[in-house]
Amino acid sequence: MPQTMTDEEIVRRTLLDKEVFSLLIERYEAKLMRYCERLGVGVLEDREDILQNAFVKAYKNLNSFDPTLTFSSWMYRITHNEVMNFFRFKRSRPQVILSEEGESLLTELRDEGSDTAAQSELRLSSEELAKAFAKLQPQYRDALILRFFEDRSYAEMSDILEVPVGTVSTLLYRAKREIRELLPELPLS
Amino acid sequence: MTPTHPHNDDKLAKRVFDRITEEHLIPRPRWEFVFKNYFFWGLGVVAVAIGAIAFSAIIFEVQNADWQYAFVTHSDLFSFFLDAAPFLWVAVLALFVGIGYLNVRKTNHGYRYPLSIIALGAVLTSLALGSALYEKGFGSMVEEFAGNSLPFHRSIMTEQHSWWLAPAKGLLGGTVVASASDVSSFELRDFSDAVWHVDASDLRTPDLRTVARGGMVRIVGVPTTATSSFHACFVLPWETYGAGRGGPTPLPLALIASTSDRSHLVPRSDACKQTRPYAQLRELDDQDAL
Repeated sequence: MPQTMTDEEIVRRTLLDKEVFSLLIERYEAKLMRYCERLGVGVLEDREDILQNAFVKAYKNLNSFDPTLTFSSWMYRITHNEVMNFFRFKRSRPQVILSEEGESLLTELRDEGSDTAAQSELRLSSEELAKAFAKLQPQYRDALILRFFEDRSYAEMSDILEVPVGTVSTLLYRAKREIRELLPELPLS
Repeated sequence: MTPTHPHNDDKLAKRVFDRITEEHLIPRPRWEFVFKNYFFWGLGVVAVAIGAIAFSAIIFEVQNADWQYAFVTHSDLFSFFLDAAPFLWVAVLALFVGIGYLNVRKTNHGYRYPLSIIALGAVLTSLALGSALYEKGFGSMVEEFAGNSLPFHRSIMTEQHSWWLAPAKGLLGGTVVASASDVSSFELRDFSDAVWHVDASDLRTPDLRTVARGGMVRIVGVPTTATSSFHACFVLPWETYGAGRGGPTPLPLALIASTSDRSHLVPRSDACKQTRPYAQLRELDDQDAL
């Protein structure tokens, strides 16, 4: 059954029959669309263009897919690079829009905070969190999005961002420190 | 970016397939990626190999920079360092270790290795390989080649020759070509091919041993004429390390036996006491005498 096939099996079959590739597109379209939005691509049409390019690129480079990493990480990497190219090409800044999804990040920040009692009362609107995100350095923002919004492991983040796992840890540590510094400036809701 | 519209009303999969069909796209063959991977590994290896050659030249320069005679040839250690430090080769080593790192980063899993690991690996490989190349005389060859080919680089041997081709400053280097049977004098061909008559009356046993070994020597003394005669106060050995060549050919003279009465403890003439680092040169003599 096509639906039970692993991504890696679909990749192998696509090399024999390109139509099978549509399974991967359907499987990842929604996730990657959301990922593009989280990375700051605000316009739907732009996100669709980016994804279209990403899937075409993935198809052309299917033979370079490395089975030691997951297809998901590989596809996220291609999409991430396409988004970065998009911002470079457009010379525009990401429009950070975060919907009601920052809870895991806030929980992490609360747990790590020294004043747990006070922090537990902290409730931030997604708009306020987005404002703080917008002020973050891009590499910190990308790391936080992958870890807390896309739920990626350190190893997957390493494969997506193409940096060593140690660098992922450093990025996340610095990103959390920076966002913790930014959040107290924002009003509590 | 070459997106295919219209949006929204058309499924992404359809638009992707439309574009694949329109542009006649097919997956690039696997060998291209395999080749690319090996290509970057290859460039990384080549870069480290060049780094190794640079390191062999660094060892050669450092070994042959005459650190022990810096106080004789230079007025201060800083000016000696500027003349003798292997800046070019350190820069080449750093550059090619960097290039090696960038190429390894571009291989399939290169991004997984931290900069420190790749850089350390590249440096250690360069050092190990460079040491082996130095032992084989590669450092000398590369240094000589660079000295002859690069207008901005003087080889350490050329530097040394210029330091020791300064009779007015009391420094003379060259090859011993003949000696009087009583060792009262000898002939020396300097680096400009001029032959000097060297008065050896002030030399002591350690100096004469050096002369007896033949080959190249350095002399500290006083010029008695501008271009042809020199009063030697000290004779120091001239050894080239890492050149991959044999040692000097000894002169066919039994000098040592006839000079045993010239103890290094006997003071030299007043003329020699004017030579710049007299006390330090005496110390070198004492070390040689042991």
